Amino acid sequence: MNIRTLIKYWRTILLVAEMNIRQQMTDGFILFTVLFQPIIIALLGLWMLKDKGPDAAMFVVVGSGLTGLWSSLLFISGGSLNFERWSGTLESLVAVPTPFEVIVFGKNLGNVVQSLISMVLGYFVAAFAFGYSLEIQQPLLFVASVFLSVIAFISFGLIIAPIFVMNPGVRAWQNAMEFPVYVLCGFLFPIALLPGWTSPISYLLPPYWAAVALHGTSTTNASLNQTLFAWGMLLLFSLLDLIIASRLFKVMLYKARADATLGME
Amino acid sequence: MKTLTNNLRLFWQGAILSYVALFHWMRPIQYAASKILMPLAQMFFFVYLGTFATGKDNATFYIIGNALQIAAVSGIYGMSMSIGGDRDNGTLGYIFGTPANRLVVFMGRAFMNIMDGALGVVIAFIWGVILMGLDLSHTSIPALALIILITTISTCGLGLLLGCLALITANVMFVNNFVYFLLLIFSGANLPLEELPVWVQAVSYILPLTRGITAARELVGGASLTEISPLLWGELTVGLVYFVLGYFLFKAFEIVAKRRGTLEVF
Repeated sequence: MNIRTLIKYWRTILLVAEMNIRQQMTDGFILFTVLFQPIIIALLGLWMLKDKGPDAAMFVVVGSGLTGLWSSLLFISGGSLNFERWSGTLESLVAVPTPFEVIVFGKNLGNVVQSLISMVLGYFVAAFAFGYSLEIQQPLLFVASVFLSVIAFISFGLIIAPIFVMNPGVRAWQNAMEFPVYVLCGFLFPIALLPGWTSPISYLLPPYWAAVALHGTSTTNASLNQTLFAWGMLLLFSLLDLIIASRLFKVMLYKARADATLGME
Repeated sequence: MKTLTNNLRLFWQGAILSYVALFHWMRPIQYAASKILMPLAQMFFFVYLGTFATGKDNATFYIIGNALQIAAVSGIYGMSMSIGGDRDNGTLGYIFGTPANRLVVFMGRAFMNIMDGALGVVIAFIWGVILMGLDLSHTSIPALALIILITTISTCGLGLLLGCLALITANVMFVNNFVYFLLLIFSGANLPLEELPVWVQAVSYILPLTRGITAARELVGGASLTEISPLLWGELTVGLVYFVLGYFLFKAFEIVAKRRGTLEVF
């Protein structure tokens, strides 16, 4: 793959992400998932943890944003291919010369970036509704953590989407998969509260490492080594997810072409 | 007598068919996931968040609140999809075209969701006892069952009203999700109502769940059924008000839709 092709793909990714955001901003379900649900969770968390001080407030702001990221990934990225299928555009997207994975990468980028808005809104809720003066304690490390988390979420989404397309039965479990990840990844409380046997499951979930990196750098709770380790895990999972996703997309497209079921559920 | 028999048949057939139609797309294992895993995960999340915030001693407060909140899954989503689904599936015109008693049709839609919602709450309480250490050894189980039933009925009343809104808006899931999540705050499931601003408390008491959750907490705390009966009457009244509002909205929508020819226009 040469530089020209990479630039072409990057332009496609950005364009798809932009179109995706524009289109989704008119959908009530998506607006709720991306904006309102995290804000309600932030309000609830801020009220419940109001006696624990500003550090807990920052924990809630970041954690509620992460709930928005996960719900968006699960419901919107997970269903994005089916949305194209229902719209009758899936065949066209598969047929264009740009690899299908690149297009889905762009869609996931749009979903994840728009979900970050919820973190910003959570910050304003904490500041205006509860009067907190919140400061990100390690701003540069936090920005880097956000970047790596975005990559990890997009890559994870690249696995979820083809699995949901190939297995409509799995998609029916979507509702049951939302809160377990909130719990296991320690979005709003430390996983140390959970039974010890759940920890290995948490370690296998990329959103957990995103939570470790973002919570740690938004406060002073994490040392540089801990943050670097979380970054390493995010990169490792991103790479693994991309490799698995590449294989899954090949299987999905082959199966769809062989069975001629691309537009059918 | 014949009219009564016909209405009973209509009620029962409507109840069964609307419920089957709602879940026809799920396999039993997926239905179990939505009835068992989802409520459990949601309960775990809020119970852990609550105990992280206020200490393990308060776990009972969050377990009871979130177990009863599960009534809103069937009450809000099930009910509104039962009503709104007719529009989505193009069957609304047939319902409006039949001479069937609208109230019976309406109640038939609610019946199975009430049963399903109550079952969901019972399962949540069982999870609470088995996995979270909820102590019901000194609690009157029949009284708790009555609270669950009344709270589910009142929540379905709100769901019925939202279902009617589903007939006039395309963004029904937005409305459903919004109400469901607001109930997590306003019902007092996760926050002691007395700590909330006065206006929030005022809103709380015109919503279902609030009194039911308070009654269940008081019952588990040692109160008798007689002591909590005012709360239960209040909960039932709130639910009935929503049922009546929903019914009249349904009738009004039928008249407007027929006059304007907008039966299935979004």
